[in-house]
Amino acid sequence: MDNTQSWIVVLGLAVGTFLIRYSFIGLLADRTMPHWLDRALKLMVPAIFAAIVLGGVVMVGGQVADLTQWPRYAAAAVAFIVAIASRGSILGTVIAGMAVLHGLPWLLR
Amino acid sequence: MTTSHWSHPGTRAAFWDGVRDTLAVVPSYLPFALVCGVASVNAGLSTSAAVALPALVFAGSSQAVLTQFIQSSASLWVAILSGCVINLRMAVYSAALSPKVKQFSTGERMLIAAFLIDNSFAFMQKRELANPKDPHLIAYYAGLTAVFWPSWLLFCMVGIFAGNIVPASWQLEFAIPLSFIAILAGSVRSVPMGAAAAVGGLASIVLFALPLKLGLVAACLAGLLAGLVMEKGVQWWTTRKAG
Repeated sequence: MDNTQSWIVVLGLAVGTFLIRYSFIGLLADRTMPHWLDRALKLMVPAIFAAIVLGGVVMVGGQVADLTQWPRYAAAAVAFIVAIASRGSILGTVIAGMAVLHGLPWLLR
Repeated sequence: MTTSHWSHPGTRAAFWDGVRDTLAVVPSYLPFALVCGVASVNAGLSTSAAVALPALVFAGSSQAVLTQFIQSSASLWVAILSGCVINLRMAVYSAALSPKVKQFSTGERMLIAAFLIDNSFAFMQKRELANPKDPHLIAYYAGLTAVFWPSWLLFCMVGIFAGNIVPASWQLEFAIPLSFIAILAGSVRSVPMGAAAAVGGLASIVLFALPLKLGLVAACLAGLLAGLVMEKGVQWWTTRKAG
C-alpha cells in the first residue's frame, strides 16, 4: 500500500467517523433520534465487538486456527473469565490473556 | 463558547475534574494504543498516514479494524465502510449530547463532535447521574479530551515508531481481540445483547469468505437481527408470564 492509498483510507474513515459523531449534534440537531434506530444501534454494539473478538481469535491469516494453535483459544477463554470477573478491565484482561498465550505452552514444554 | 465562559470558576473546576478523571484511566488503554500503532505500520500503512489515523479518527476499535482490512488486502472502500460501521454506535452519543450543546456555535459543535469517544461519553454519563443539571458538562468534556486525545496519539506513536523493537514471536497483535473481550464483557447488559453478541461473533467466522470481505458488516447485521428477535422473544415471555 503506497502513501496515497494509505491517506485515502485514513481520511475516508476520518470523514465518515466525523459525520457519525456530528450527526445529531449538528447535521440533524433539530431532530431526536428515532426510537428504533437507538435500539438497533445499542444492539449492534455487542455484535460488532463479538465479531472482532471471534475473528481475531479464530482466524489466522485467512484460515480457521486449528487445535495446534490451542494457546490462542486457552488465552481467549482465560481472558473472557478475567474480563467478567474484573467487570471489563482492559489492562487486566490483556495481561492475563497474553500471559496464558505465552506462559502455558512454556510451562507444558 | 466565548472566553468569558471559560473564566467562570465552575467551568475551570469542571475542566480539571475531567483531567483528573482521565489521568486515572490512562494506563488501562496504553497496551491497546501501542498495539494499534504497531499493527497499523505492520499492515502496510505509510508512516505519515499511520500517525494521522489516531490523530484524525481517534477511535481505537475502528483503527484496529481498518488495519486488519488493509492487512487482508480488502478494497479501500470496504476497509473504510467496515471502519465506519464499527463507529456507528457514536451516533447514540451524538444524539444524547445534542440537547446539551444548543448554545454553542456550529464551529464549536464540530469541535465537540470531533473528539467524542466511548470513554468520554461514559464519564459524562456518570457525572450527569451525580449532577443532572450540571451547566459545566462540556467544560468537563473538554478536560477529558485534553488528556484522552494527546495521550492516545502519543501511545499510538510509540507503537508506530518503536513497535519494531518487539519481536514478532510475542504476537502482540493478539492483544487487540483480548482488549475487545474486555470491552465486550462490559457492553453486554441484557439477554438480547447477549444474543446479538453470540450471533455476531459466530457469523463473523461463518461469513468470513463472503465476497469483497463484507463479512464483518454482514456479521454486525446478523447479530443485530438476532438481538431484535430476542427482544421480541423476551417481550413475549414476560407478557405470557404476566398474563
